[in-house]
Amino acid sequence: MSAFLARNRLIVLAYAGMVVLLLVTALFSPGFLSVSNMRSTVVLAAFVGIVALGQTLVIIGGGIDLSVPWVLNSAAIVMALLCGGQDMPLLWVMPLLLAGGGLIGLVNGIGVAHFGVPPIIMTLATNVILQGLILVLTGGSPTPSAPALIQFLSVGRIAGFPVIALIWIALTAAATLLLSKAAFGRHLYALGTSATVAEFSGVPTARTTILTYVISGLTAAFAGMLLTGYSGQAYLGMGDAYLFTSIAAVAIGGASILGGSGHYLGTVAGAMVLTILTGLLPALNLSSGALLVVYGAVILITVSIGSETFAGLGTRMRRG
Amino acid sequence: MSIAERPVEDKMSKPGSDWRGRLLDRAPFLVACLMLALIVGIYGSLQSGVFSLDELNLDTAAAMTLMLAATGQTIVLLRGGIDLSIGGMISLGTVIAATRFTDDPATVALWVLVILGLGLVIGALNGLLISLLKLQPFLVTLATWSILNGAAMMILPTDGGSVPGWWVGFASAQLLGLTSPVWMLLALLVFWAWFRATRVGIAIQATGSNEKSAFLSGVSITRVNVVTYGLSGLFAAGAALYLTTQTGAGSPTIGKDYILPSVAAAVIGGVSLFGGRGHLAGTLIGAFVLTLIGNLVFVMHVSSYWQPVASGVILLLSVLASSVAEKAARGRVQ
Repeated sequence: MSAFLARNRLIVLAYAGMVVLLLVTALFSPGFLSVSNMRSTVVLAAFVGIVALGQTLVIIGGGIDLSVPWVLNSAAIVMALLCGGQDMPLLWVMPLLLAGGGLIGLVNGIGVAHFGVPPIIMTLATNVILQGLILVLTGGSPTPSAPALIQFLSVGRIAGFPVIALIWIALTAAATLLLSKAAFGRHLYALGTSATVAEFSGVPTARTTILTYVISGLTAAFAGMLLTGYSGQAYLGMGDAYLFTSIAAVAIGGASILGGSGHYLGTVAGAMVLTILTGLLPALNLSSGALLVVYGAVILITVSIGSETFAGLGTRMRRG
Repeated sequence: MSIAERPVEDKMSKPGSDWRGRLLDRAPFLVACLMLALIVGIYGSLQSGVFSLDELNLDTAAAMTLMLAATGQTIVLLRGGIDLSIGGMISLGTVIAATRFTDDPATVALWVLVILGLGLVIGALNGLLISLLKLQPFLVTLATWSILNGAAMMILPTDGGSVPGWWVGFASAQLLGLTSPVWMLLALLVFWAWFRATRVGIAIQATGSNEKSAFLSGVSITRVNVVTYGLSGLFAAGAALYLTTQTGAGSPTIGKDYILPSVAAAVIGGVSLFGGRGHLAGTLIGAFVLTLIGNLVFVMHVSSYWQPVASGVILLLSVLASSVAEKAARGRVQ
């Protein structure tokens, strides 16, 4: 148990931070811990969490995915256009758009792994290209409303549990298995720690890199469709906030932006922390500007705790 | 392939063959020049009066905000870092200007100094945090971007405010037929010619090519980081002030439109994301390329929504070109 704590110090800290934040919020707004409020907090966190799943894998591998906003937005818009408010088309539209998201990820991954394009530039380029194509496609006009089935997935409940929370739990379990038990996970940590060493140790580095971007494309597209269900319609710009929050959730969850460390379980706590903060500020009567200031401060504090300087300080204190 | 190996390689190779190495070294910059020539050529064939001083004045005025932001970003990229916080600084600068400027030139001068000072200090703080806490520039500047953007929203929640009329007139002021943005462009080039040869300029580039050997040669990495990010903040503040002459108002959200384009302009101009390699002239050409794509889309009578598609494709093409050139250069050394 203590070995687990030592190895996953930052993840444990992220959860501790989450609990403290919950208690503090409850102090300022007594209704915060109510079942209905916790339910809506988890639902909102799930969107961040699902987008951040792919982002976590990409970052552990030493990359970054800036194409998340418009992969998400494209999936949302195209789903609404193809379904036209009907349920039946979803049966083929959903797999099609998941494949589309995966395809964008494939392009990102091939550019990074085979052509040596820096991830920031590669994913930035696919992001603006998608943005332009969607704007050309829609002409900037609004799209039809979301089909009822997708609304059920994002706001519906099964036995009192939000469906999306169940989806999130299932995805968390899958990601944990992938990172902790599968060969892919071992390859990914090796790749993120040192691409050269991994390459010479026989890790399929190119395939592993590409797979992280494909998964990121998949999760972003999936989140886009669910988010359309949540807001009732798709609109331009709905993905913009998720670039910042997906990276912030990974950073707060204890992953190093240099790659090689971190876990999706930490990102889950990071997504919760960001969402609880959103709920805390209205209780304190603070503006959305103040929320951004708090977001920035929280990121600075958490990454400082994870930095070498502080880790060294901790070791010295334990020894001394 | 390190820069130190190059002269040895050149001496060893047959005389007359080193021009190829030098050409490959400058390939990304030459590709950017070619791209700009091509865009100007197409633009000129579709629209009359493109090859005139008026057009130069107009396009430079449109590109100057990006150029100022990208100048700071270029210094950071040469150091091997990245600065996302310039988005927050630009927003903050415009809202302070739009809420504090009055008709009185003395008041304006005071606030101009405050805004520039703020940019310098906040940028230096970024550099200090990166050095002292051994943090990644991406995360530190992502956090400070959020903080600065939040501060801007607290000062002015929505677009608005105003700046005096004479301030807005700055960009159309002329000297010898050239408007002030064109003179600023020349000033940037002069600044660069001077700065890259100064002690600190050399230290920044050396640290960007190889941090360890720069440190071992006695360069203070902390000082390099403070100066690098301080300058980036200063140029972002300058971009904010210039932007208010174009918009005449403040906006708490406008800065984010310059974060990634500033990186893109530098990369299109041949500045390496891995540090140490690149030139401000390339970045300025990259900024012109990104700005002129907008004009081109306009005169071609297609939807303006094609503009981001075109800039994305150009960004990819130029980065692929430089990666091919880099591979070829590496192959020659080996």
